[in-house]
Amino acid sequence: MRKKLFLLVILLSLRTPLFSQERFRKSPPFPEPLQELRLPPIESAILTNGLTLSLVFRENLSLISLQLVILAGESSSPPNLPGMATFTANMLDRGTLSLSSSRIEETIESTGGDFSISTSLDYSSFTLNFLEEYIDKALDILSKMILQPAFLEREIENVKRTMFYDLLDKAKDPEFLAKRLLLQLLFKNHPYSKISFNEDFIKNMSQKDVLSFFDKYYRPNNAILVLSGNLNLTTASKKVSHYLNTWENKDLERSFLPPPPPNDKEKVCFIDLPQAKDCTIYLGNVVLPITSPDFFPFIVLNQVLGGTPNSRLFMNLRESKGYAYFAFSDVEFYKSCGVFFVKTKVTPEVAYTSIQEILKEIRSVIEEKISTFEIEQAKSYLIGNFPLKIERFDNFSSKISDIKAFRLGEEHWNKYYENIMLIDSEKVFEVAQKYPLLTPIIVVVGDKNVVIESLKDFEKVEVYNSKGILQYTLTKGEDK
Amino acid sequence: MFLKRLFIFTFALLLPLETAPAEAQGQKNLSFPLSHYELKNGMQVILSEDYSLPLVSVVVAYNVGSLNEQQGKTGLAYLLENLMFQGSQNVSQMQHISYINRIGGIPNADTKEDRTLFYQTVPSNQLALVLWLESDRMKSLDINPSNLEQAKEALIGEIQQRKANEPYLESFFVFDQFLFSDFAYSHPLIGSEEDIRNITVEDVKDFYSTFYVPNNAVLCIAGNMNKIKAKELLAKYFETILKGKDLPPLPPSKLPEKKEVIETLKDSLVPSPAFHLGYRIASSRSNDFYALTVLDYILLRSKSSRLYKRLIKKERLAYHLSGGIEKRKELATFKIFAINNNEAMVDLCQKAIFSEINKLKSSFIPEEELEKSKNLFKMDYLRRFATSLDRAIFLTETFLSQKNFENFPSELDRYLKVTPSEIVGIVNRYFTRENSVLLNIKMK
Repeated sequence: MRKKLFLLVILLSLRTPLFSQERFRKSPPFPEPLQELRLPPIESAILTNGLTLSLVFRENLSLISLQLVILAGESSSPPNLPGMATFTANMLDRGTLSLSSSRIEETIESTGGDFSISTSLDYSSFTLNFLEEYIDKALDILSKMILQPAFLEREIENVKRTMFYDLLDKAKDPEFLAKRLLLQLLFKNHPYSKISFNEDFIKNMSQKDVLSFFDKYYRPNNAILVLSGNLNLTTASKKVSHYLNTWENKDLERSFLPPPPPNDKEKVCFIDLPQAKDCTIYLGNVVLPITSPDFFPFIVLNQVLGGTPNSRLFMNLRESKGYAYFAFSDVEFYKSCGVFFVKTKVTPEVAYTSIQEILKEIRSVIEEKISTFEIEQAKSYLIGNFPLKIERFDNFSSKISDIKAFRLGEEHWNKYYENIMLIDSEKVFEVAQKYPLLTPIIVVVGDKNVVIESLKDFEKVEVYNSKGILQYTLTKGEDK
Repeated sequence: MFLKRLFIFTFALLLPLETAPAEAQGQKNLSFPLSHYELKNGMQVILSEDYSLPLVSVVVAYNVGSLNEQQGKTGLAYLLENLMFQGSQNVSQMQHISYINRIGGIPNADTKEDRTLFYQTVPSNQLALVLWLESDRMKSLDINPSNLEQAKEALIGEIQQRKANEPYLESFFVFDQFLFSDFAYSHPLIGSEEDIRNITVEDVKDFYSTFYVPNNAVLCIAGNMNKIKAKELLAKYFETILKGKDLPPLPPSKLPEKKEVIETLKDSLVPSPAFHLGYRIASSRSNDFYALTVLDYILLRSKSSRLYKRLIKKERLAYHLSGGIEKRKELATFKIFAINNNEAMVDLCQKAIFSEINKLKSSFIPEEELEKSKNLFKMDYLRRFATSLDRAIFLTETFLSQKNFENFPSELDRYLKVTPSEIVGIVNRYFTRENSVLLNIKMK
């Protein structure tokens, strides 16, 4: 009997692999040594009219990504016309002297391609992707858009309407509202503040304004053309020159834009968004520009604080306290400065407590050195994630545009791995002290009826409407 | 141990340079290495190297989806996708995601009617970690009452949220019931709340042990790898997993009877009247499928496509238009969904669609327009190789639908060779009244 039972046990253990497993399954394998990062080769030339041409050689795919960067973003919009840079950029594919806007669209689609526009603080960029056999057709249509724009009144009205409704639509999004107000207040009185334009400004745009902005800034000596694909610089220069050599350069006064002063005292602002279920919080301050030597330690710091769901903010506000749907931090870099910000979405009752927890997390990286273990984890994330960020053609072209527009030097991205590896806990601790992370502007967006109660512990809360206009200020202990 | 690979081949898809460019375009675009073999437990492996960046993507596909669900058990396939992240013998709950996130990688999963994919892109020195993780959940998923409850709650929450945010969602489910004749093909992928609540641990264990087995899986690695090492790792982590039982046959893919269907759905949640128009078209294995795919681009894949231009831009009969070809295994349909401002617009919009279809039946499409449509298709096709993950997913899906790569090198060319007369032919063959299903959605 005993023997039989023993046999049964053996048989069972043989038949059920769950009970016995190979040793190698028990713990994760060690990684191989990290492979070297080699970015695609980049060559550059300046054409006779001053246009900078950069070529990124990529042989694997038979398509070309073209990015034209005009070094004029919202900071170049006239002071009375915020939004002008964005508006002008949006006019580019709306018709030339010989082609209607729908004809342009069809021509681009006939190359298998697509066209997209984006405007930031420092520049406007146009991306045209197409099949490589249509390079001539693509350059031809691009040259027509730049050399013979029509800027017809009818199209100006169309763009106004599209932008107006687009902004109205975005104004329903609490994250959009929060970030727009944060930047508006951080950049107060600085040319960068024009990025926070709202739908009311659109109606002021006229044909004359578009023409004058275009004439001033859309010049080859104020532009960079990045081509990625299976091309060499000689061929690319010849082709680009052929289509764009009549683009005339013009002297342009380039003034140095000093960074805006950081916010020096914590300030709380609220936007009422009726019926919003949750409470959205953005808080941040002005920090270093991308060219700063503190760039690498700062992005490691950001990573520890709020780069991913494994970072401190997320672990605290979501995993431990259960206040938030998400909680991240980020740094955006512009030519004159950067903006560090934390964003989270929480249940309305805990708005105040959540802000205190965020500030507590920030305080802790300023007051205590981060452990080497945590620093190494953050570095390993940044190193592993970097190639993913540049894998797509157009993403890499944007990085190249940054190099040229911000005068970064190619080694900025080429030496990314080495630069991150050099960072240690000490360096991160140094930069954490250096920037005013604890005196942020705090923007809260939510339904006033449910959120405002939880903000009553703040000394002062400035209440704005969704267009970013100050309505009134609430003071602790006073009724409104 | 006999590690005899049943089937190994590698081919370079490069053609000699002197071939005429127009002819060779398709092949020339796909110049990358590709090899395929089978492990002794029946798992299919696809390897495709690319050394441009220190990245590698791994896709594990299981040949299972909502098509394999029984009545009363809908939502099971999608539920299991969620459970695959809830831990296995050596990996605790949600640890799969955090392992991948910590090294800068991005994990994800996707369930469709006919397949379920798990995938991630990671730094290339971490390939072993991914294979360790994927093999652990293929071999020993932890299915217990507590994580099943959590997964059910998550799924039910998602259904409720989607129903609240997507007022037309229900109408898509109703439309599928008219378009497909049998239960397997027509029920919604996300399942019904009632069914999900009734799913038991035993149901999930059965489904898992039947379908999540090596002989029902395809694994693709694309990116920066040492192929010999990759094969060693695959042998170590996967070939040691026992083969599952033979797979149950799929429910037959019956073609619905040829009969025009016109139905109305009254819905109090929708903000505007709308309609679904569908055609039952050729099987994805048919030769007609190439022309049908190009037709998709002619009709509604771009802003200058015929329907988009007429309905949205010129005549403004609809303010939303979407659709195109949809495949469920071999059954394919062509769907159009439009939202209109009012009932009169619904009528005009449908008339405009029929008139566009009739035009395509009676006159050849101009060469220039056909070329534009093919170029847009070609661009999308090439973009499916743009990143290591795109490539891994595309190769996996190609293998799942074709079972080999024999036609792969010439596939793109086949689409690019579609002629105007083929277009006339397929529109006349498939876009007929008796092949059509129309569902009008009226506001209550």
